[in-house]
Amino acid sequence: MKTKIFGLIVLLAATATAIAANETSEVTMPAEGSVSVEEGLEAWSRVYEVASHPRCSNCHTGESGIPMWSGPSYGKTRPHGMNISAGESRIGAEFVTCGTCHIKTDRGNTVPHAAPMVNMDWQLAPAEADWFGKSSREICEQLRDPERNGGRTWQELAEHLDHDLILHWAWNPGGGREPAPYSLLEHIDDVLAWGVAGMPCPQG
Amino acid sequence: MGRVAKIARRTFLVGAVAIAGGVAFGYYMYRRPARNPLLDNLAEDEVALTEYVRIDGDGITLITPRTDLGQGAYSIQAALIAEELDVELDQVKVDPGPPSPAYYNTALSEEGAPFRSTDEGFMAESVRGVMDALMKFMGMQVTGGSTSVPDGYQKLRVAGAVARETLKQAASQKSGVPVEQLKTARGAVQLPDGSELTYVELAPIAAGIDPVTRVALREPAEWRLIGKPMQRLDILAKSTGTTDYGIDFQIDGMVHATVKINPHQGSELNGFDASAAESMRGVKGIYPIKGGVGVVADNTWRAMQAANAITFDWAPAKYPEQMDGHWEALANSFNEEQIESRDRDDGDVEIGVAEGNLIEAEYRVPYVAHAPLEPITAIVKLEDDRADVWTATQMPRFVQNNVAKMTGLETENVHVHVLMAGGSFGHRLEDEVVKQAVEIAGNMKGTPVKLTYSREEDMIHDFPRQIAMGRGRGRARDGKVDTFDLGIAMPSVISSQMGRQDFSLPGPDSQIVAGAWEQPFAIPNYRVTGYRAPELAPVSSWRSVGASSNAFFHDCFLDELIHAAGADPLEERIRLCWHDNSRKVLEAVGEMSDWGSDLGENRGRGVAFCMSFGVSTAEVVEVTNTEDGIKIDKVYVAAEVGRVVDPINFDNLVKGGVVWGLGHAMNCEITYSEGKAEQTNFHDFEGMRLYQCPEIEVRGLENGDKIRGIGEPPVPPAAPALANAIFATTGQRIREMPFNKHIDFV
Amino acid sequence: MRLNVNGNTHEVDVEEDMPLLWVLRDELGITGPKYGCGIAQCGACTVHVDGMAVRSCQLAVGDVDGEITTIEGLGTPDALHAVQAAWVEHQVAQCGYCQSGQIMAAAAFLDLNDDPSDEEIDRAMSANLCRCGTYPRIREAVKTAAANLRSA
Repeated sequence: MKTKIFGLIVLLAATATAIAANETSEVTMPAEGSVSVEEGLEAWSRVYEVASHPRCSNCHTGESGIPMWSGPSYGKTRPHGMNISAGESRIGAEFVTCGTCHIKTDRGNTVPHAAPMVNMDWQLAPAEADWFGKSSREICEQLRDPERNGGRTWQELAEHLDHDLILHWAWNPGGGREPAPYSLLEHIDDVLAWGVAGMPCPQG
Repeated sequence: MGRVAKIARRTFLVGAVAIAGGVAFGYYMYRRPARNPLLDNLAEDEVALTEYVRIDGDGITLITPRTDLGQGAYSIQAALIAEELDVELDQVKVDPGPPSPAYYNTALSEEGAPFRSTDEGFMAESVRGVMDALMKFMGMQVTGGSTSVPDGYQKLRVAGAVARETLKQAASQKSGVPVEQLKTARGAVQLPDGSELTYVELAPIAAGIDPVTRVALREPAEWRLIGKPMQRLDILAKSTGTTDYGIDFQIDGMVHATVKINPHQGSELNGFDASAAESMRGVKGIYPIKGGVGVVADNTWRAMQAANAITFDWAPAKYPEQMDGHWEALANSFNEEQIESRDRDDGDVEIGVAEGNLIEAEYRVPYVAHAPLEPITAIVKLEDDRADVWTATQMPRFVQNNVAKMTGLETENVHVHVLMAGGSFGHRLEDEVVKQAVEIAGNMKGTPVKLTYSREEDMIHDFPRQIAMGRGRGRARDGKVDTFDLGIAMPSVISSQMGRQDFSLPGPDSQIVAGAWEQPFAIPNYRVTGYRAPELAPVSSWRSVGASSNAFFHDCFLDELIHAAGADPLEERIRLCWHDNSRKVLEAVGEMSDWGSDLGENRGRGVAFCMSFGVSTAEVVEVTNTEDGIKIDKVYVAAEVGRVVDPINFDNLVKGGVVWGLGHAMNCEITYSEGKAEQTNFHDFEGMRLYQCPEIEVRGLENGDKIRGIGEPPVPPAAPALANAIFATTGQRIREMPFNKHIDFV
Repeated sequence: MRLNVNGNTHEVDVEEDMPLLWVLRDELGITGPKYGCGIAQCGACTVHVDGMAVRSCQLAVGDVDGEITTIEGLGTPDALHAVQAAWVEHQVAQCGYCQSGQIMAAAAFLDLNDDPSDEEIDRAMSANLCRCGTYPRIREAVKTAAANLRSA
């Protein structure tokens, strides 16, 4: 089967009041052998731009459990204020649950500097997915290692992008925040292209 | 009208509790007349025994005219009255009372007069007396300047004693037992036969007799309350969510309003388009007011949503649009023409600095918001013949006068009801919110309008602490600090603040050099010069006012000179200090912190001293330089206050002051871009959070003759002690707040 | 729409996106939860929904799914919750404006962990801002409350 249907939330260009609407989009799986290693590496470099963007990497902070903050109003990137830790639970259950402020709702995000919200329990990425401050090569090697990517194939990695609503938020963060680069669809295309090319990782 | 009230109106008045003399004999005499404001609003069967004690059929109410901003003023004032009145705190209610000249603040003026708190000489006292008269004239019923305790310490106890002795007279009249044989306790007069007459039943009789006007105050050894741990009267309500703050107060038929005011503080509104807001749910009216727009709705959130839907054309700022312009104005103020004061000029600094080895440093302190957690609010109800204002204010008399002026009503028809404040730190010394509520309420006579600021509006219109610059020149010689010359430039806070009240105080603004010029150090060549910078962004008194910036300049520069001298920071301060009680404070903090002991690797300590509001305060800060930045481990504080009225409240206020001083020094500033404050909420104006809070050890010293307030004095030494500790640990001198521009904190 | 607050059912006619805070305060007159920032920075508005701490300034009333407890419902002056009793014992409050939220945060935290270490207390209680600086007393009161909850 060469075509897979992703039930995607189509992300509107972030106007202040835009709320994401449910829609289904088709994503075409690239044919085996259709992507060269070189093209795969180019795709990866765009994947890395997304993965290392604050909207993504700030919540991929590994065992520390401490999310990061960054953006125009915070100066340099810094640990989440308030001494927040998501703990081993990754949802802050040990201290303050992320959901105390990051409410589960599909109303979108409009108020500047308020806690971002999506329609799932707010949480940190698993500790193995420790990306923050990592190089392109390090993240790439993590992502193709089933031990550290949740036991996923590259197809499953792409599919996973569909399910995680926090991840969708990265492209529509609202409240004046800078979205992750490209779009969710382009990002999925890049992950698929990188996968078909054999998951090549940059050297050095 | 009940008989009692009639009698009370006619006869039973003890006037403005002015102490007229006789102190040497341990007696206090009271001038009678003046006007007891309680009489104007006495209900049936109420009696006013002095303007601080009101008794009715239900019990005893103590009037505590200094606003409770969180500092526990109501409890402390009540305790001072109760000590002499012989009532227990669980027997009384407290009420802030109405605005009245009878409640003027005599202690506030002390800090405004250009004499050092250490100078108890005749001249100083007499000038304070002049200022006192001025304050009385203006009727400044103001809460501020750490004065609630010094101001009330005698007059509240005296008020309690006058009421007690008068009640004893009444009991004597009723029972036939001579006064000398009567005792008092727990709100009752005790007869020799063991029976009791309660104050409540005696009040009607007391109202009919001449009050006792000559009383002796009890010796400290006899005190039941003062100096012992007390339970704050408000602690149960504040732990159960049942305190009505200004923002919580509700009145039948009340509507909810908010405002949008020109973010260029003080500039006009050119125009606005409210078409999108008018049709929003719950919106009842949108009204232009001075410098902005008021939105009235049936719910605060709806008013705020509608306000956000309005577009504005604001007039530009009258002060520099960018920070560069503010700093340039300060830098340009260090010249002969702008000298405001040079009251400290010992030896000859010019000779000192001419001899070489000159050390120079420039320090900067930014604007900082007060940002109490409760945004400012006011409820105003206007009618043809009266106005009512419910608000948490530090200056009810100003509010009353301003509302009278705006409405054309006589001041006696303006009723100001002071509510509990969710913090202030000086913020509620401004009454713009009341004036705006009056403007809005003028559109709907008879309807109470509650105006609530959004956090964002509050933050950008905060009237922040002054911006300031300090320039030090000095020299060490033979291992000692020899020459110290500090210039301080800032705009006049007092002039900015009082300007908004349409009057000016005479003489130089003492706050420009407060916390610096009057420090008790005997440096051979020692000069402090204040330079008045032009008015910039409007500013206001911020917890500890001038000393909040000046102690940073003064003490950090002293630390630099001591370092240059190769001397120990604490030892050299002690050596230089000529004032016994200040030296004891330095010695105490040295002992508490085990100064000189080894703290281990990557750790260090710094000390700082400041006398402000008459309180000598020394603080030692210990820090660790961790991989994640500076961690503040521990703070030791010693403060000389003459008398600690309530050790628990004292401890809590001192710790709070340290947290305030450290937190703002670490990470807070208000900066202007395009004339608008860039910080809008607590995400970019954080202060200290719990995890950053060090352990704090507090000691109150009671060597001084005068009792002092503690709300502000712990603030000034905190920032320099931290900066000095960071230097001792890392070798890095931080000369600019907030410190996180230069170093990370955990 | 229907809300259950402190065991009482209320019918309110408001926009779905109105924050719960303002429904409580202005529609129902329940003023224990405070407005301090409106953006989840200060915690003064903290309430419980089914026992979990939530910032009521962030929770749209249309998204409420559970029973709401405010500081008034946690305990009363006559029947204090263990956390409130500890707050009284240590005389934590100065202005007291943040303390409703502090107490609600502490109660939810101790419900999940009634034997917290100092470090855990610092993690759990740093999302609530106190401008008066009562932090040293908050720490002590949380420890006392935890001890009392354990022995209860």
